[in-house]
Amino acid sequence: MKLRIDNATIVSPGSTWHGKSPSITIQNGHVTAMDSPGEPAEVVWNAQGMRLSAGWGDMRAQFGDPGLEHKEDLESGCAAAAAGGFTQVCLLPNTQPVIQSKNDIQYLIAGNSRRVTQVRPLAAVTKDAKGEDFTDMLDLHAAGAAAFTDGSAPIWHTDILLKTLLYLQKIDALLINRPEDRLLTHFASMHEGITSTRLGTPGMPRLAETLIVQRDLQILRYTGGRLHFANVSTPESLSHIRQAKADGLQVTCDVAAYQLLWLDEVLEENPFDTHFKVNPPLREASDREALLQGLNDGTIDVLVTSHTPQDEESKKLEFDLADFGMTGLEMFLPMMMKLGEDAPEEVWIEKVTTNPNALLGQKDDPFAIDSLANFTVYNPEQVWKYDAASCKSKAYNHPWFGAEVTGKVKGAIYGNRNWSEDL
Amino acid sequence: MSQALSVPHLLGIKSLTESDIQLIFETADEFKSVINRPIKKVPSLRDITIANIFFENSTRTKLSFELAEKRLSADVVNFSSGNSSVKKGETLLDTVNNILSMKVDMVVMRHSSPGAPHFLSRYIDANIVNAGDGTHEHPTQALLDTFSIREKLGDVSGKKVAILGDILHSRVALSNIFALQKLGAEVMVCGPNTLIPKYLGNLGVKITSNIREALHWCDVANVLRIQLERQHIKFFPSLREYSMHFGLNKQLLAELDKPITILHPGPINRGVEITSDVADSDHAIILDQVENGVAVRMAVLYLLASIRQN
Repeated sequence: MKLRIDNATIVSPGSTWHGKSPSITIQNGHVTAMDSPGEPAEVVWNAQGMRLSAGWGDMRAQFGDPGLEHKEDLESGCAAAAAGGFTQVCLLPNTQPVIQSKNDIQYLIAGNSRRVTQVRPLAAVTKDAKGEDFTDMLDLHAAGAAAFTDGSAPIWHTDILLKTLLYLQKIDALLINRPEDRLLTHFASMHEGITSTRLGTPGMPRLAETLIVQRDLQILRYTGGRLHFANVSTPESLSHIRQAKADGLQVTCDVAAYQLLWLDEVLEENPFDTHFKVNPPLREASDREALLQGLNDGTIDVLVTSHTPQDEESKKLEFDLADFGMTGLEMFLPMMMKLGEDAPEEVWIEKVTTNPNALLGQKDDPFAIDSLANFTVYNPEQVWKYDAASCKSKAYNHPWFGAEVTGKVKGAIYGNRNWSEDL
Repeated sequence: MSQALSVPHLLGIKSLTESDIQLIFETADEFKSVINRPIKKVPSLRDITIANIFFENSTRTKLSFELAEKRLSADVVNFSSGNSSVKKGETLLDTVNNILSMKVDMVVMRHSSPGAPHFLSRYIDANIVNAGDGTHEHPTQALLDTFSIREKLGDVSGKKVAILGDILHSRVALSNIFALQKLGAEVMVCGPNTLIPKYLGNLGVKITSNIREALHWCDVANVLRIQLERQHIKFFPSLREYSMHFGLNKQLLAELDKPITILHPGPINRGVEITSDVADSDHAIILDQVENGVAVRMAVLYLLASIRQN
């Protein structure tokens, strides 16, 4: 099939095409011509007034497949990702069972050839993500694991972390750790601060994250290797990471989009609303400011959705009993639009394209002739309603569910699969 | 002063205004005189059905609410369950909706989860009274405590109140802090630093771990029980050491140059946070608190029911 995209303005900081609107011709899943107006094609997308960027990648999402398919299965999750503009999505290994064998990896990637959104499985570092005994990481890598992490479970065991960083150097693989000292977050369901005090609710201190960031960086200094911190949320974490980068360590980090939008105070404005129960927790204005600064100055390399689908039975509960997490794949663009100048388009686009791709070993120029077609087309201004009719995920646990939002993904292409709406 | 509460539920002191609290006090004054009459009952709530739903053990609070309800002529049903965990089967919402299907107008609920009554208020039509939600609030306790201080000392405004004990796990402490501050009192908390929330000072509360300092400073000491049932991990080495360094005894009171009023929300662990000679002394108004509890709860139920009836 031959497809031509006309009139879209390219957003690709660092590329010579940035800001231009060339016609792009795609044949058999590859870019065959740039700046090719009028090139005959079977399908033409007229993307007047829209943007086009490299296809977005989410380095941290959770589906429930296998084991918790009622929350999100591969079909619904990939549909939500595609609708949200994500052509690649890294899935946490915290399913039932945990992703820790070749078969598990193959199960997750089997559908890639028929979907726009490509699943990039993250394999567990330790069996059942318990932090005690290694999985066969080299084997998992050969089977297609994109990187290694115990996902939502922090790697608490110092020696396991140390040995993993050493072991993975053979294949130059990335280790992702969620920095949280769970001894300091026992029974806690929100950020520790004045709001948690007023709500009489046990809080997670910043210290629980910062301590592990410090520890892990010390280990990284000792071992070498590539370490990525998932979902950083405190200014102290960022200053340690900033310093470590300046010292030449191979360290990177991401932040969850929701962390940039809401503060812990929202739990007092909407008392004990479980939509806002997330981990890491929503923190304070000073934390958000530091995160935005880190995003803009490059300390934060990657933006993730931390898409965590929950069924009603897990969320329509007392605050301390409800599960953590909110969805994010379909609301990513509206969330970025809401951030406005706090997170300029050129900045956030890099954090879901170039930067995660580089971390996962994909360094191709998406606009080079013969490169695999991998694009997202979006309208930053379209207002639409996010509700049961438009939502592709099985889960509705996002604070904006039912609301009008701004920013709509209009199409996505990966290889010879694509979808589009009104183009 | 307005004659109606500004809120349809009593979820916490936090959501009350000062005039709400004053209205509750004035209404409680009237009910206190009622319950001291030979005929202790009024017909105010005779068309109202109230469900007391207690997911945590309670003796005195439940008894106090039930008496208050009966003295207002309400129909009362009771539901008690030692476990509020969803893992036991039915969700909170299902349990309450089942009870409400039997045409219940008001719900008095105690629950181990902070915010459980707020959660409920989003989904049900009945008026809710929070009878204690985990480590969050226990508004009627704070109302009866401040009502008792007002009764004993004439006014709450300008008074210095020390709250002694396990502040971290105490819904009584938090509700008292909000109530005392709204009424113009100053508050100091005293306990082991491990039992004081890190950011409590940001609420404008003084903090000490020296009981002598707290007692010298205050006009009123509200002595809290050690909430061992809410301490899943260790916060201090032993009850023995706690009572030696943080317990209130007669010798400490004898060192003071003025009498102070002693409150305790009960049940008392005699010999732990307070010695018997102090608990039973003239300056302790512990049993007045219990009596006032009924009057204050009558006032709260009556005022919420008037909103419903209107």
